[in-house]
Amino acid sequence: MAVTTQSPTGNIKVRESVFANSTFLRVARYTLVRLISLFITVVIGIYLTIWIANMGGYVDTIMKNAIRDNVNQAFAANPANRNVDPETRKKLIAETIALQEKRLGLDTPIALRNLTYLSDGLTLKLGRALNMTSDNGSKEVRLILLERLPATLLLMGSSQLLLFFASVYLALSLSRRYGGFWDKLVITLSPTSAAPPWFYGIFLILIFAAIFRILPFGGMVDSPPPDNPLGFGLNILKHLILPASSLVISSFFLSIYNWRTFFLIYSSEDYVEMAKAKGLPARDIESRYILRPTLPTIITNFALTLIGLWGGAIITETVFLWPGLGRTLYTAIGLYDTPVIVGSTIVYAYLLAITVFLLDFIYALVDPRVKVGSGN
Amino acid sequence: MLRNRLLTALSLVIVLVMALSACGPSAPPGQVPPRQAGKGGYLDEIDVSVVDKDSAISQIQAGTINLYSFNMASTDFPAIKDSGLSYTSSYGGNYDIMLNPAKFKDTTVLNPFSDRKIREAMNWLIDRNYVNQEIYAGGSLPKFFAITTQLVDYTGVVDVARELEAKYAYNLDKAKQVITAEMTTLGATAGSDGKFQFNGKPVSLIFVIRSDGDGTRKPMGDYVANQLESVGFTVDRQYKKASEASPIWIGSDPVDGKWNMYTAGWLNSGLTRDEKNAFQQMYLPSSQQGLSVFLANEPDPEFQKVGDDLANSAFKTLDERRELMKEAMRLSMEDSIQVWVIEQKSYSPYQNNLTVTYDLGSGIEAAAMYPYNLRFNDKEGGVMKIGTNDLFTEPWNTIGGSNWIWDTAVMRMTTQGSDIAAAGGIMADPYTGLAWPQRIDKAEVTVQTGLPVTNNLNWVTLKTADKIDVPADAWIDWDATAQKFITVGEKYPDGLTAKVKSVVTFPANIFDTKWHDGANLSVADFIMPTILFFDRANEKSPIYDESAVPYLESVKTYYKGFKITSTNPLTIEGYSDLYYSDAELNVGTSWPTSPLGLSGENSWDVLAISDMAEANGELAYTADKADAKKIEQMSWVGGPSLDILAKHLDEAIAAGTVPYAPTLGQYITADQAKARYNSLKAWYGVHGHFWIGTGPYYIDKVFLTEKTVTLKNNGWFTDASDRWAKFSAPKMASVELDGPANVKIGDKATFKVHVTYKGSPYAKADISQVKFLLYDATGAVLKVGEATATGDGEYEIVLDTDVTSKLVAGSDRIEVAVVPIPVAIPAFTSMDFVVGQ
Repeated sequence: MAVTTQSPTGNIKVRESVFANSTFLRVARYTLVRLISLFITVVIGIYLTIWIANMGGYVDTIMKNAIRDNVNQAFAANPANRNVDPETRKKLIAETIALQEKRLGLDTPIALRNLTYLSDGLTLKLGRALNMTSDNGSKEVRLILLERLPATLLLMGSSQLLLFFASVYLALSLSRRYGGFWDKLVITLSPTSAAPPWFYGIFLILIFAAIFRILPFGGMVDSPPPDNPLGFGLNILKHLILPASSLVISSFFLSIYNWRTFFLIYSSEDYVEMAKAKGLPARDIESRYILRPTLPTIITNFALTLIGLWGGAIITETVFLWPGLGRTLYTAIGLYDTPVIVGSTIVYAYLLAITVFLLDFIYALVDPRVKVGSGN
Repeated sequence: MLRNRLLTALSLVIVLVMALSACGPSAPPGQVPPRQAGKGGYLDEIDVSVVDKDSAISQIQAGTINLYSFNMASTDFPAIKDSGLSYTSSYGGNYDIMLNPAKFKDTTVLNPFSDRKIREAMNWLIDRNYVNQEIYAGGSLPKFFAITTQLVDYTGVVDVARELEAKYAYNLDKAKQVITAEMTTLGATAGSDGKFQFNGKPVSLIFVIRSDGDGTRKPMGDYVANQLESVGFTVDRQYKKASEASPIWIGSDPVDGKWNMYTAGWLNSGLTRDEKNAFQQMYLPSSQQGLSVFLANEPDPEFQKVGDDLANSAFKTLDERRELMKEAMRLSMEDSIQVWVIEQKSYSPYQNNLTVTYDLGSGIEAAAMYPYNLRFNDKEGGVMKIGTNDLFTEPWNTIGGSNWIWDTAVMRMTTQGSDIAAAGGIMADPYTGLAWPQRIDKAEVTVQTGLPVTNNLNWVTLKTADKIDVPADAWIDWDATAQKFITVGEKYPDGLTAKVKSVVTFPANIFDTKWHDGANLSVADFIMPTILFFDRANEKSPIYDESAVPYLESVKTYYKGFKITSTNPLTIEGYSDLYYSDAELNVGTSWPTSPLGLSGENSWDVLAISDMAEANGELAYTADKADAKKIEQMSWVGGPSLDILAKHLDEAIAAGTVPYAPTLGQYITADQAKARYNSLKAWYGVHGHFWIGTGPYYIDKVFLTEKTVTLKNNGWFTDASDRWAKFSAPKMASVELDGPANVKIGDKATFKVHVTYKGSPYAKADISQVKFLLYDATGAVLKVGEATATGDGEYEIVLDTDVTSKLVAGSDRIEVAVVPIPVAIPAFTSMDFVVGQ
């Protein structure tokens, strides 16, 4: 807000306004530079992704040979081709191969295709997949990704948010009971996170699906799914229990251990000791003296957890036949489906860039020591 | 009086009941009548969903699913057996070691496999039984030849097959001896470490070993590499995935020397009765596969001729064919650019209270008869839950849609007959590969005199003719502008001949057959798929698709036209230059199945609205055209296609559209068209998709993302449920051999053969022949003969004095091969006996 004041000489000065303008300029300059640098980072990241996905052009060789092999074998296996003379045969095979190569864009130079992938990706024109189709039969990358998004958000969202909040809450509590039984128990159990989620998933399936037969082996719904929406929803939740549990269990103790260690550093600060000495209630100490200075870190982690949901959990989704984005990306990599890989990456890159950009401002809001664009 | 009235009333009731039963089942629009006891499929409902293969056995045991229909590899066989579940057993592809036969450009590098003798010696180097036992858990078969081990063609030449298998049995010493001798001839020397050297460098073999797939090729490759190292080679093992391996073994020129060996794998395409082109395909430069490795081979000219003669059917009788096959087998072992190792068997587990029919050549999902016989043994009806590997991998339509086996297995539940020899309306025998009539009344096949065609089943009348003229009014091509067929007379004014003529007569009530939406089958249904086959490959057509052209071009090399000679009863003549040696497979029904060999049936109305969507540039049948036009590929079961198709359905109803009116207008009126479209609309309203057929089950609901589909019993389908029950299980023969443990030289010896099926004697009429092979102590075949039948399942082999007098003292062996008629797989047994003075 600008405040006008009367100067001794009678001139009106806009001191606050100057201050405000300098802040505005600083923030504006910072925003611009930050946006440009993030955009350049995204461009470089995406171009590298395209090159890696294409294996520097070697994927063309792989695909051309696969086409040749498939067409030759299909031609040989079809009894309809038994009467075809060798010259016609060669011609027909060559025509079919050329059609397939054209369909996959292999008749266009790789450098040109990479630029097209890049520009389409940056403008969020996700385009068409080369080989993959969505479950609904569409080749639009947008639809392929969107179709799997709800399942991934459900699985990853429920498990990761539960994991995040439970870990922070329990870690905060443990940080005040350093050396106690529960603290030692968590430290002892933290190496259990060395095993990946799918490892726990297999055990959970064995126990709850194969032996006790109370939960399903996998999938998202029963076959056939219940007709009414409530039954359908409850059925999905039943199928969610095991995969979500495996994701939570696999990271639970290590996550608590990490946060607890992080909070411990702040718990032993002088001002916390002072607060304890003053006899402030434990809850106040936690919220004002420990949690507040750690908020930027917590928010950063939370934000990264949120955008991390986009990636899905490749192997866990596979073990539980969960139709999520992780399996889609895995399939795309296996099929060298560059548009799908680029589509998935560009969305993640933009989400990450936006998050990083916004976090700078959020830090300034939650921590008075931080000034946007101050250069410190 | 009262009595008369009662009688009258009773008569009226009886007449009414009879009239109602004559009307058959009925249902509201879009609905299908429920299952009728004893009619149609046995089950009320089938739920198919995607199940992880690794949990399939546990899920069956837990009762979550009743059956896992996708094939599991022989490495899973011990787990299936241990589970106590029932299982199917079928062929599942094969593995071999492919050898690069080229002399390398770089003459300082020696490629040992450019030497035919070294390639041949590879057969002695590999212990196929060891590979089968150790890597494939004993669940597969050792393989020596390009033809399928123990299937139809193999059985026909079993004596030579067994002889060659004995000749090329594992013999490391012999392998080493031959290889060393040949390497020396090629200029290699032995280094101080005992390894072969050439030009002062070790002879290093680049072995591309596949590490993906079912994982068995890696240990197989390692075993072969170890064996090669044991005889003096240095092996550079390069473990690669398919995508990494193909640029090397397919993409590079063999003379560039980027590889010496590759762990190749080939899939079976079902129960193949005719494998005469296998040798050309798998060895010779004339192979239709056109791969550079085959082009680089310089085969023995005799092998080239025999292989080509077989592939080109340059034989006049089946005996001639058999002799060529035997010769090709011998020569192929000498050539050995592919050293066959394993004939894989596949297994599918299921609960013990089920009846599951499967194709011996390729398993459950490829068997057309599978949905017809699938049932619970203890009840009729019920809900069957099936797990498979995947579903809806690509969009579903019958012109250019999904052809993945798990998708086609579901499609086949909705259709009649099979796509055997691209003709529906007939049913593929899952155990012999022959065909049975399902919807046709009678069939007559006429072949040009001299063609080696025989009939096996009496429902086909086989005739011969010196010349088969194609009638001038038969349809042979399509005018996309006039939307009319081009006749033979118009295209070939001087006349046209064919090698095969097929005449099929359908039953008088064929048009009472109902599509799932309740509409009746019509003549247009038989014609429309053929129109599409031509029209889509014609540049002047609004639905032109350039990807349809190559296939049409190849079909045109043998297609000689078809003609509807009567619509009551429906009688269709077909003319072709393509023929199969089994007469039954030459029957061309023109049943409304996909003209491109895909699964599913084509009702003309679904094709009509699909054509409208394609002509309007909104959808495309094929992925090629969809990609080129940047539009969606057509799916009749879900996704963005449905709204578009529904829109065109409304337009068609409003306009009473008759597709290809100049031709189909002769068979459909605008009112009939409207009625048909309205049935489809009602169906779509209830079931939410456009996939209809005439088969025993219909698709009730589809859940694409959840990957599950629900099929229900088609109450319109009125065949007796047990029509195909005799094919419920393969009648595999068991054979036992009794005989003397000691045979005296010069004395007559008699052996008894007992052939049974489930403990009962195998009917004599069901056995084609019982062959025996007599081996000496070295494994050489001394005599091949046929046993004499003495009763049902009882045979006798008599070794006369002139045979036994030629035996030498030692341990000899007699082997018996029983060739049954109801199944294509023979049964073998053998016994050893001591020959003494």
